[in-house]
Amino acid sequence: MGKPIITNSLTKVYSEGRVEVTAVSGVDIELNEGEVVGLFGPSGSGKTTLLCMLGCILSPTSGSLKLYGNEITGLDEKALPAIRKKYISFIFQGFNLFPALTASENIMLVLKLKGETGMAAEQRARELLSVVGLAERTNFLPRDLSGGQKQRVAIARALAADSPLILADEPTGNLDHENGRNVMEILIKLAVEQQRCVVVATHDNRIENAFDRVLVMEDGKIVTETRRPA
Amino acid sequence: MLLFSMFYVALRILLYDKVRSVITLLGVVFAVGLIFAQIGIFLGLMETSSVIIDHTPGDIWITSKNNKNFDFSQPFPEYLSGQVRSEEGILWVEKLIVSWALIKQKEGGTEQVEIVGFNPDTGIGGPWDMKAGAAGVLKNGNFAIVDESAMKRLGNIQVGDYRDILFRRLQIVGISQGVKSFTTAPIIFTSYRLAQGLIAWLGPDNTVFVVAKIAPGYEIDRVIESLKKRLKGVDVYTKEEFSMKTRRYWAIETGVGFSFLLTIIISFLIGMLIVGQTIYNSTMEHIKEFGTLKALGASDSEIYRIIFSQALINALAGYLASLVVTMLSVKIYQATDMVMVVNWKVNILVLALTLVMCLSASFVSIRKIKSVDPAILFRG
Repeated sequence: MGKPIITNSLTKVYSEGRVEVTAVSGVDIELNEGEVVGLFGPSGSGKTTLLCMLGCILSPTSGSLKLYGNEITGLDEKALPAIRKKYISFIFQGFNLFPALTASENIMLVLKLKGETGMAAEQRARELLSVVGLAERTNFLPRDLSGGQKQRVAIARALAADSPLILADEPTGNLDHENGRNVMEILIKLAVEQQRCVVVATHDNRIENAFDRVLVMEDGKIVTETRRPA
Repeated sequence: MLLFSMFYVALRILLYDKVRSVITLLGVVFAVGLIFAQIGIFLGLMETSSVIIDHTPGDIWITSKNNKNFDFSQPFPEYLSGQVRSEEGILWVEKLIVSWALIKQKEGGTEQVEIVGFNPDTGIGGPWDMKAGAAGVLKNGNFAIVDESAMKRLGNIQVGDYRDILFRRLQIVGISQGVKSFTTAPIIFTSYRLAQGLIAWLGPDNTVFVVAKIAPGYEIDRVIESLKKRLKGVDVYTKEEFSMKTRRYWAIETGVGFSFLLTIIISFLIGMLIVGQTIYNSTMEHIKEFGTLKALGASDSEIYRIIFSQALINALAGYLASLVVTMLSVKIYQATDMVMVVNWKVNILVLALTLVMCLSASFVSIRKIKSVDPAILFRG
């Protein structure tokens, strides 16, 4: 497999009637396995649009995007779900857990999509909940979990997809400092121990020090890139 | 959890919001129950309309030309029955008189009744289920048999009672069961000769129906073809054809069938709206979760399975509950002397309609899922 992400002049332009809005302009980045990357910037800076393109949810207007050696730009939109299924997991600010399913059932749903069923899936769901420190909350419904716990279930669900690339959009946005710290610790652990590439789009300056690399966006461009000293 | 599947997920979603699910279920039960009732009552009415034809032995019915149904028939010359008897392939022939008459009520006033005159020696065309008395006693006197269902309109009648029918005093010698008229007019059985004498306008040498039986080894179509060529001024049918003709008259020409069909369609649409709204609301409430599944690589069809499963669960649960209610209703209808037909064919038909109703209702949600863009998940 090639590098998780390589972009070359990645650009996204939205047409709103006669007006064209450039949301992302000429982004060149290379991300590595085992890296935790923070994507910072004010609202409207293009973070979400860039994340959507990296996640194969939005197609770029121009430029190139390679995901683990696969050229994504120019692919038919119908091919993108299969790419996401193979390489990418998502974590969202709002958790997006099915309220009617327990913690383990939310994870088993993703396992089912991957073809894992039965006792094996149930076991795997329990293991993933252990990884995120929720072994004793297997049969809890989301309404009985705290915000931090819900986000950890969402991380476990992302892990169930077994994707090498994890894209997180404001994963600590709804959490207090301690829970936010716990979530980042889990993400860092995944990156280091399992060599996954984790990209986090965030406003949360409290977690800035957690990242191996910080990219700051402004007006659709990456204006600064800072690497944490080894 | 060996059975974890999209069906299970759908079930959990429905059970999570119990109040909404119960309301939806009640809606489905109402709609399906109404469909059951309409189909059952309609079929019951159709059965009633041709009950005497269906219970009369014989293969061929001969009626006056352009006769529309059993209850409103014109007379034709009796001698034609002789021509039928002489036809090759005919085993036996019987004549029937069916006509309207007036019976005098005990308290005064009159009630319209339908007279069926038949041959008491053979019993063909007469009652098939006697509660009291015997059909054979009708001959040799001014005797009549009244059906049990007539007592609602005529009051309590016992064997041995006397009643005036068309100004002639008849003694009741039997009570039959299971003979109801579509028109709800009481049915009175008499001997053929008595009926001919009672109903003066028919004429002394006329009959209303001729019923014939095919001899073994003969093809009914060929015999009928031959009779059609020989007999003038009458129509010749198989028993099934005349039964259907009678039913079709009441169903189509009176508009009764259309009325039932309209109610069935309205019930179907109500059911669709109720289920469709519930599933759509549920889909919208879970749109971000479904979007997340899409973002994680789930295909649209995998998510559709959850939606369709919700519809299927509503259909099956609603159908089963409605079936129970309907079976109980059949008893109530029977107590009011109405016939409601609920058999395996009706059950299958209503199940099919219920499934179509609920699955079609889910298509609005399917369209919504199809159009969900995972990009909406990013900061709502």
